[in-house]
Amino acid sequence: MPDTVWKKRVVVAGLTAFLLAFPLLVRDAFLLRLFTEALMWVGLAITWDLIAGYIGYLNFGHGVFFGFGAYATTIFFTKVNLPFWPSLAVGGGVAALAALVIGWPVLRLRGAYFAIATWAFGRAIMQLALVLDVTGGPDGLRLPPFLNPHFFAYVMLALVGATYVVLWVLLERAPFGLKLKAIREDESGSLAIGLNPAKLKLQAFILSAVPAGLIGGVYAYWITFIDPSSVFGDLVTDQAVVMAVFGGLGTLIGPAIGAVFFLTFKTYFWAYLSDFQVLYLIILGVAIAACVVFLPDGIWGAVTRRQEGRRALRKGLSLNQGEVVQPPQPPAGTSTRTPVRHKGGEEG
Amino acid sequence: MLTLLPQAIIDGLLLGGIYLTVSIGFSLAYGVLHIIDFAVGEWIMLGAFLGLYLTAWTGWDAMFFLPAVFAVFAVVGWFTQPLIQRVTSGAKGRPVLMALVFTFGLALTFRGSAQTVFGIFTHSLPTELAAGSWYWELGPFMVTIPVVRLAGLLYALAITVGLTYLLKHTDLGLAIRAVAQHKDAAGLMGVNIRRTNSVVYSLYVGISAMTGVFIGAIISLNAAMGPDLSLFAFFVVVLAGMGYLPGVPWASFLLGLIQSFFLIFFNPGWTLLAVFTVLFLILLISPTGLFRKGV
Repeated sequence: MPDTVWKKRVVVAGLTAFLLAFPLLVRDAFLLRLFTEALMWVGLAITWDLIAGYIGYLNFGHGVFFGFGAYATTIFFTKVNLPFWPSLAVGGGVAALAALVIGWPVLRLRGAYFAIATWAFGRAIMQLALVLDVTGGPDGLRLPPFLNPHFFAYVMLALVGATYVVLWVLLERAPFGLKLKAIREDESGSLAIGLNPAKLKLQAFILSAVPAGLIGGVYAYWITFIDPSSVFGDLVTDQAVVMAVFGGLGTLIGPAIGAVFFLTFKTYFWAYLSDFQVLYLIILGVAIAACVVFLPDGIWGAVTRRQEGRRALRKGLSLNQGEVVQPPQPPAGTSTRTPVRHKGGEEG
Repeated sequence: MLTLLPQAIIDGLLLGGIYLTVSIGFSLAYGVLHIIDFAVGEWIMLGAFLGLYLTAWTGWDAMFFLPAVFAVFAVVGWFTQPLIQRVTSGAKGRPVLMALVFTFGLALTFRGSAQTVFGIFTHSLPTELAAGSWYWELGPFMVTIPVVRLAGLLYALAITVGLTYLLKHTDLGLAIRAVAQHKDAAGLMGVNIRRTNSVVYSLYVGISAMTGVFIGAIISLNAAMGPDLSLFAFFVVVLAGMGYLPGVPWASFLLGLIQSFFLIFFNPGWTLLAVFTVLFLILLISPTGLFRKGV
């Protein structure tokens, strides 16, 4: 249907133009900060969803990669005195290395074991950051301030935009995404048709870790102060989980929408109702639990399903009235049997 | 250093008792319902706070309220279980993982509510037992046993024996074991699966809440203590093999001993890391636990 493709192109172009122009047009520092932070969470939510939504493994230690990136970048930037960009690259590299070292054994575990192992790993790394000298222990580390909000807005935009495009191409356009979905649906089955689940999972794990590490590095330079609880703390993973589940697992756009929605909500909540900050945790929890019970496909899943339903309904109505029906014309020389459509009998 | 050896062993066993109480109900719930409850630490925390408020209100010893706390939370668990049931038995994809996310949300809700209602301060449950401790000296060796910790260990053993009796010698226990083994077959044999599930979950929540009273008396309680306790419950259950009840005591005592030895003979700051390392190695070498009996 060229019509919808055209519509989609317009929407994508409009969104890109909006994102590029936003930091230039906005004078308000608060909004610019919100913009940068929203992009950051979009990046974390979609990379979490790469593992959870596409492979079906719940990684409750995703924040570790964010923290590794933040700490590695900071240490190389302030203690080794490298310039920022090489330090950031080191941050991404360290996250990739961490994903390789952790993922290789842990990805052999399935279901709940994987969730527990990653969660335990996240907390162990936080303990480690609290006792080591190089990380500054509980005092954290400081970076030289670089007060240019537009710089960070564009760096974050470029980073998250690139991540989104790469993931979109790999997951929605390339066979890689189909292979991952095959693992999600039936891991033994995917092995039987000749895929290598162990290798694919590890690739996906590293693919989800590197952007998280880079985002962590930019975050550290932006905020200029990191400590174990702010970058390795549970809240990093928790929020990414909520955003992805709320937006819709197994898609890229869903978690992105969830992230923008949730962060906007959180920021205004904290800004205007700062006396009730602890209520935020309750809202977070209720949102996850209610989503799982009532909206298992998230907001995006609910919207698209509704649209599909409407489209199918319209199609069905027009079929009944015999308006648009164009029975497939069998090319000459082939069998004249028209394909028969079964209604809902696929499983039988 | 060697003179501290008996103390290290005793401390480890007493600590193991705490872990045993934290994880036995959880292991039972996993064995039967096949859900990982991220809220286990939060149930413990809520139970501890109920105990705290009851003692502050009446002025009695905290230990009197164990049955009351159990009863209240058994009822709460009874009414929570259908929600989880709805998530796990739904026709949606990946029900087990969705249940995991659901209990995760539940845990966040409880923690947030507790921090809102009870505040962020650390409390301690008043009990007569906390005052006493026994002390022996035998040559160069000396050993101190706080009475309240010993009571915790005895409580843990009593719960374990009670659960074992329930599972092995009653009709209800037979039904629970049948459901754990094969849900559908048990249903065909006339076991009421929904009711059995609810009983198991309410038992688990009640036991966890009661444990909270002991932990509040032995260590302390605050609204943010949940995740650490959940973590230890996970450790023990993974070490024991998920859902393998007889392994739980051994795993608890092993974990307690590791922790107390590290605390006394090595660097205290690295204790938690040592525990994490052990868990990690076990998960990698034998994911079904020390006894290779997990599911």
